[in-house]
Amino acid sequence: MICGFCGFEFDENEGKKGCGGCPGGCHSIHCPRCNYKNPLETAMVKKLKSLFGAKSPTTGEKQ
Amino acid sequence: MESGSTATTATDSSIKKIALVGNPNVGKSVLFNALTGAYVTVSNYPGTSVEVSRGHAVINDASWEVIDTPGMYSIHTITEEERVAREILLHERPDVVLHVLDARNLQRMLAMTIQLIEADLPVILIVNIMDEAERMGLSIDLNLLQELLGIPVIGAATARKRGLNEIRSAISNYRSFCDFKRFPYSPQLEHDISEVTCLMQGEYILSRRALALLLLQQDQEIDELVHVREGDGYAPLAEKVRQIAFERRESFHLNLSLERMEIVRAMINQVFRAPEKRVVTLSERISHWAVQPLTGVPLLLIVLYFGLYQFVGVFGAGTVVDLLEKQLFEGLFNPWIIGVVKAIIPWEVIQELFVGEYGIITLGLRYAVGIILPIVATFFIFFSFLEDTGYFPRLALLVDRIFKHFGLTGRAVIPMVLGFGCDTMATMVTRTLETTRERIIATVLLSLTIPCSAQLGVIMSLLSKYPGALAVWGGVLLLLFFVVGLLSAKILPGEAPMFYMELPPMRLPQLTNVLTKTYTRMQWYFLEILPLFVLASVLLWLGKITGFFETLVNAMTPIMASLGLPREAAVAFIFGFFRRDYGAAGLYELQVKGLMDARQLTVAAVTLTLFIPCVAQFLIMKKERGWKVAGAIGLFVSLLAFGCGYVLNQALLMTGVLA
Repeated sequence: MICGFCGFEFDENEGKKGCGGCPGGCHSIHCPRCNYKNPLETAMVKKLKSLFGAKSPTTGEKQ
Repeated sequence: MESGSTATTATDSSIKKIALVGNPNVGKSVLFNALTGAYVTVSNYPGTSVEVSRGHAVINDASWEVIDTPGMYSIHTITEEERVAREILLHERPDVVLHVLDARNLQRMLAMTIQLIEADLPVILIVNIMDEAERMGLSIDLNLLQELLGIPVIGAATARKRGLNEIRSAISNYRSFCDFKRFPYSPQLEHDISEVTCLMQGEYILSRRALALLLLQQDQEIDELVHVREGDGYAPLAEKVRQIAFERRESFHLNLSLERMEIVRAMINQVFRAPEKRVVTLSERISHWAVQPLTGVPLLLIVLYFGLYQFVGVFGAGTVVDLLEKQLFEGLFNPWIIGVVKAIIPWEVIQELFVGEYGIITLGLRYAVGIILPIVATFFIFFSFLEDTGYFPRLALLVDRIFKHFGLTGRAVIPMVLGFGCDTMATMVTRTLETTRERIIATVLLSLTIPCSAQLGVIMSLLSKYPGALAVWGGVLLLLFFVVGLLSAKILPGEAPMFYMELPPMRLPQLTNVLTKTYTRMQWYFLEILPLFVLASVLLWLGKITGFFETLVNAMTPIMASLGLPREAAVAFIFGFFRRDYGAAGLYELQVKGLMDARQLTVAAVTLTLFIPCVAQFLIMKKERGWKVAGAIGLFVSLLAFGCGYVLNQALLMTGVLA
């Protein structure tokens, strides 16, 4: 994914997640370079993107 | 080194492989995403902490494994990422290597293409970001470049899906095309290379020529690889390498780099044309204006006027709220649901819980869907639009010199900007500021003067109906922002750290990006507020039936009176303590009922904006700064909010402004 603030390109797994502050759970990835809070795509958006052939840059599974 | 060969993921050997290589930030991942489907595996490369993405692509009915390698600048590696990228080339035997480079930096990046071709790798060159290069007036003769390099060369703008079909076609037709070129060096270097290569007998994936050059550059990993492959023949080879390296010890790296640069330069002279006077693109111009104070401040005001005032305030909080809240909820939905609930539930007290004055449906749902949703939606559209243009980092640079006076740097723009979305989460982001001093100052300014999006939208919509009211509200907040900022910097002595950042390019926002981000933000926001609004309705209902709510309103009545506000205004303040947006919706209702005039609305808006943050933000402040600091900030902010409300009311009464 690309950070909305500094333009840094990073993998979703590289970003910081789940600091526990947001009520209702964490739905964001903080950029490893500038810490800007980038929204984490919802499952529906990911499905729609894959349906239209544009794979979500945040899709991935950690092995 | 050898571990890589055994470490490759277990895949069907009949599936061909594509490796994407290139410098960081040239669009490799975008191309990877475009080529692969939804199923992508991200895993650490064995023995390293470097992640490698793998996916599958079907091109002309053939199945391919696509590997997105970490960024690399040369096959003579320095970083762990580069080593992993080279390991993939060395051990995974890709059938096609897509070298992606940035058309705007062709000269700097073409040296690696030369190295890849020299290594006899099956390279296809993707000259990416062609759209930006063309906008800058740069012209690249791709056909001639293809002829000179002897490999397929494709111009692309993968972010705009340009060139993807050509890339797929080049991949599937690769074998019929391949025609490796050799790039000659000086006679002396050629002699050194041949002296090393003639001693090499082993089988390698990379060409002996490339390996000889890496050996002469004292590449430890290549040396180990050659040692294993050459066996007994390694000793004379190593001796020859040592001898040449010693003779050329002062200038080998430099000479090799200069010779490669010369090869590239000769090629660039033939294929690359830049305009005599560099074309400054519109985005570069806007970028320049955005960071210069003389042009940046007016530009910021234009952005705020059209984005916040017109779009969020007038359209979102005005037109859309009117449609949803008044016409849909008040006009149609609420009368219907009240009838339904009353028909189903015979007990009045339970009816009250759902459809009463503070009912879950008639108040909680109406506030959430009818008022907050349209405001937050328009705000997030504006926010995501601005974010996608790359404006925020420029704003950080613009305000850096002002923030320095407050003991902050431009970096504090991140929590400030996020604070307009939600102050609670922004308070957490202050932890990323460098010093404790900065964190405390930013927390104070956030809890005091930065309204959340819903609050901002409602206030803009309400105050815009009265000439001057919005200016008074904005002026008071701006004045306080400066005064509190300056005072904080004085009270908490220390130096503001240095701030610098690399600016990403400004770009035309992409509709899909804006809509995706808006939808994502809205979904999480809405899911977060709806249960809280329901809970607030239940608590208010409980407060009403027990009489506690009335007692609370009565207790606040003298404070409201001192601010020149009606007794009913206490309700909005109580709501605001649950959540800022809930309080904003309460303020909206007071205005709709015609309970406040322009002066009262302005005083209430200023006090509510400054008023102690909602419960969630207070708890986060406590978590981040501790009870002592959070308590002090809370007390200071509350006293200041009501103090300012009082002074403002008196000033407006005395001057007759907004009368």
